[in-house]
Amino acid sequence: MKKYIFKRLIYLIIVFFVVSLMMYAIYNLIPSDPALVAMEPLRKSLKPDEFARQYQALRTQMGLDAPLIQRYARWMGLWPDVNGSFDGLLQGNFGYSTGYKRDVIEIIPTPMLNTVLLNFCSTIITLAITIPLGIYCAVHARKPSDSAIQATTVIGYSLPTYLVGILFIFLFAVLFRIFPTGGAKTPGSNYTGLMEFGDRMYYMALPILVLVFTGLAGMTRTVRAAMMDTLSQDYIRTARAKGLKEKVVIYSHAWRNALLPVSTSIMGWMIAVFTGGSLVIETTFALKGTGRLYWQALNATDYELVLAMQMFYTLVSLVGVLLTDISYTLVDPRVRIDK
Amino acid sequence: MSSNNTNQTRTNGSAKKEFFLFRWIKRLLFPNKELDIYAEEQLQSPMRMVVRNFFSKPMSVIALVVFIIIALFVFIAPEFVELDLGEQDSTLVNISPGFQMLDYPGELEKNGVQDISIGYNYSVACDKTGKVYVWGKYKVTQVIDLSEIPENVQNAKIVQVAAGSDHIVALDDKGTVYAWGNNRLRQTMLPADLVANNRTHEFGIRKIYASDQFSLVVTEDNRAILWGNENFADLSYKSSELDGHVLDAALTNTAYVVLTDTGSVVCANFNASQTVTKIPLMAMHGVKSIASSSTTVAALREDGRVIVWGAATKGENKVPQFSSDVVSIDGGRYHYTALLKDGSIVCWGSNRYKQSSVPQSLKDSKIKNIFVGSFQNYAVDSEGEIHTWGLKGFLLGTDKLGRDVFARLVNGGKMTMTIGALSVIIEMIIGIILGGIAGYFGGVVDMVIMRIAEVVSSMPFIPFAMILSAVMGTKVSVEQRMYIIMVILGVLSWPGLCRLVRAQMFSQREMEYVVAAKALGVRESKIIFSHIIPNVMSVCLVSITLAFGTSMLTESTLSYLGFGVPLPTPTWGNMLTNANDSIIIQQYWWNWLFVGTIFGVACICINLIGDGLRDALDPKANGR
Repeated sequence: MKKYIFKRLIYLIIVFFVVSLMMYAIYNLIPSDPALVAMEPLRKSLKPDEFARQYQALRTQMGLDAPLIQRYARWMGLWPDVNGSFDGLLQGNFGYSTGYKRDVIEIIPTPMLNTVLLNFCSTIITLAITIPLGIYCAVHARKPSDSAIQATTVIGYSLPTYLVGILFIFLFAVLFRIFPTGGAKTPGSNYTGLMEFGDRMYYMALPILVLVFTGLAGMTRTVRAAMMDTLSQDYIRTARAKGLKEKVVIYSHAWRNALLPVSTSIMGWMIAVFTGGSLVIETTFALKGTGRLYWQALNATDYELVLAMQMFYTLVSLVGVLLTDISYTLVDPRVRIDK
Repeated sequence: MSSNNTNQTRTNGSAKKEFFLFRWIKRLLFPNKELDIYAEEQLQSPMRMVVRNFFSKPMSVIALVVFIIIALFVFIAPEFVELDLGEQDSTLVNISPGFQMLDYPGELEKNGVQDISIGYNYSVACDKTGKVYVWGKYKVTQVIDLSEIPENVQNAKIVQVAAGSDHIVALDDKGTVYAWGNNRLRQTMLPADLVANNRTHEFGIRKIYASDQFSLVVTEDNRAILWGNENFADLSYKSSELDGHVLDAALTNTAYVVLTDTGSVVCANFNASQTVTKIPLMAMHGVKSIASSSTTVAALREDGRVIVWGAATKGENKVPQFSSDVVSIDGGRYHYTALLKDGSIVCWGSNRYKQSSVPQSLKDSKIKNIFVGSFQNYAVDSEGEIHTWGLKGFLLGTDKLGRDVFARLVNGGKMTMTIGALSVIIEMIIGIILGGIAGYFGGVVDMVIMRIAEVVSSMPFIPFAMILSAVMGTKVSVEQRMYIIMVILGVLSWPGLCRLVRAQMFSQREMEYVVAAKALGVRESKIIFSHIIPNVMSVCLVSITLAFGTSMLTESTLSYLGFGVPLPTPTWGNMLTNANDSIIIQQYWWNWLFVGTIFGVACICINLIGDGLRDALDPKANGR
């Protein structure tokens, strides 16, 4: 097991560097010249040849003339900068946001908290609904109640998240006026403690609802499929033949095994929600989360921030996949990894 | 092209053999004959079983039919619904769906038309008995409704009406002026002397006019009185110079000119900077009457000539030859309509909404009166019958830039489906080739390909697609950007299919027919792509169907976030971007409801078809 995890970690690191190199290369396709930007105010006060000399000096100082791979290594912190020190991603320098005029590392925590809160709540609620629902569907497979739930779930997972968002705004914020249409807190309010938390949750309720609704469909189907697969296994037949009660068969024998494949899809789904889903949701509801931050940064061509967040997203999905695989081997002894 | 070529060479090579795709489709759709169960076991191909299973489920069949209808609709309808990408009109924004703009009330025709005036999207009229009617799109906002005619107007005998952009002015037989509608910019606040005159009736009113947020009346003693939004139009009026000489006036959107008793058109305010207020020499004398479109003014001279000046953008100044004398002219937003002495009608200017196409039925009737405005024409003949032509309305309304939602819906659908289909084809090509190679050869090749697949699939999809689109799509045209989106979607989504093909390949390559093919010395590429892949295709079909739905969803999500196909090219995704606004969601529901519905239904159908195919392919589902 240790060997397996070690192997996977090595592999993760390699993939991370490959992806980050690709990202850096793509980022470098954008025509930009920070040296020229820094020198521009001096253009009028200097003679042209003096300006050109200083500009060239600054370029060398910034290391802009180095080949791509060297610049990448410097940005990553694997290669000394021109002044000889290591100052890159690995040393904790995530870059400087031109849009916020602050270091990227200072900007990210607050939106991150919102996104994590949003995803945490929606995941808990979704799982609390889908697992019992999926099991119910599998047990009552091909009966009218199951067919009805199946039909609804197709709708749920076919519709794009933003469309569900618009629909829910129309229903809950415009028609019935239960929730606000967007934002993070009551404007002008200055709550503290529990009141602040309550207010935040009130504003987050509709986005959570949308995420739950869109997640509901896919997860229910996954749970149902897994459960049905398990119920057709021989050991379930054996359990029934032994004369066990149906409840015992389902809740003691079947569902634990059925949840094994589900655990993988939960992780995959969470990654998808954390990266793509929250992006759409936060844009729709003007929620200050990482997704919206990323969207705004891309729109404002604040590329250092974008790059840092892209690295973060990559890391999240890579670690997510790793955790999935490890958890899979942990919960299912049949999966042998040290082959 | 290349596929056509291979088709050619193939058919040439083996004379009787059809092109494989053709053969597959034929087998898929036209199974030969029903077989009894034993014969079927022997002869029925798995594909035919799948088709039969699929078509035995009503849900799948309905989904397939609905999807085909939607697909045909979005690919055929754009041929008939033209889309002008640069088109927008500030007077046609946020119009609700429906064709009521020319639906005049029957009672008006029965009682005889006294006057009709046309505002942006509505018309107002009074009949011979003095009753006022309003029809068309008369809801200015949620609260302001132009059809709520004030009580004193209902009680009065109205003889003249004038429709502005969002306010109505009316004149009764006693010379009282009324105004109602949107008063946010003081459009309906009558000036003090008019309010006083409404009580005393000191002077009579000859004619009333209304335009964008401002109004004008010409009194019996030849004065002009103006009121309304002074920021929009220069309402300063040279009263000392012109009082006692004003006979007629013409109001464009932001300016006005008057006709004096000397037969000369005069700029009546101190600001002569607008093109309309620069009066040409021909209009300085001998003018009989004047009319206006939204940006131009037309003068009818005593000698029967018509002169048009101003910012003519849609051919308003291309005055045609008249077959007889012009009796009167009237202008819409971008066109003019002239009534000739012999009772016939001539139109010129923009014909975007058929407002300059005089209907054939008018040839036989003798027209007495014409009322023109916006994109509508009303003509009253000698029997009192009303003839109409021009813009009736929009099937699905218009968006916030005045663009036809229906035209954008069908063209956007075509775009979304094309992108979805092409990106799936790209995905298929990469996925099947790489999966086939990895699965067939195994070993190092497999290792390398699968590691690449893992790298690609470990990249977070939407953020990555966004940055690719943002970086690569900056300096390219819309069309190139569209192709870039397709390639991005295809290139980022192939690993799933690749894994599926690889897994199938592993089991297929051990089969006897592959061994036989190898023994016969068939080339390996041929074994993979023409022996094994056709057998694997049926399993891939599910994945491909679902991938098509996913591609459409992803494209629309990217467009929604502003990193897909850029505006003004419509796709279903970026049409819904407009709807990300609680006011639009609430008041202008047609902006998102129709697009959302058709897109939702299309996606649901694709998923149902995919599910149906999966069930049909599942051997356990066959029941034996």
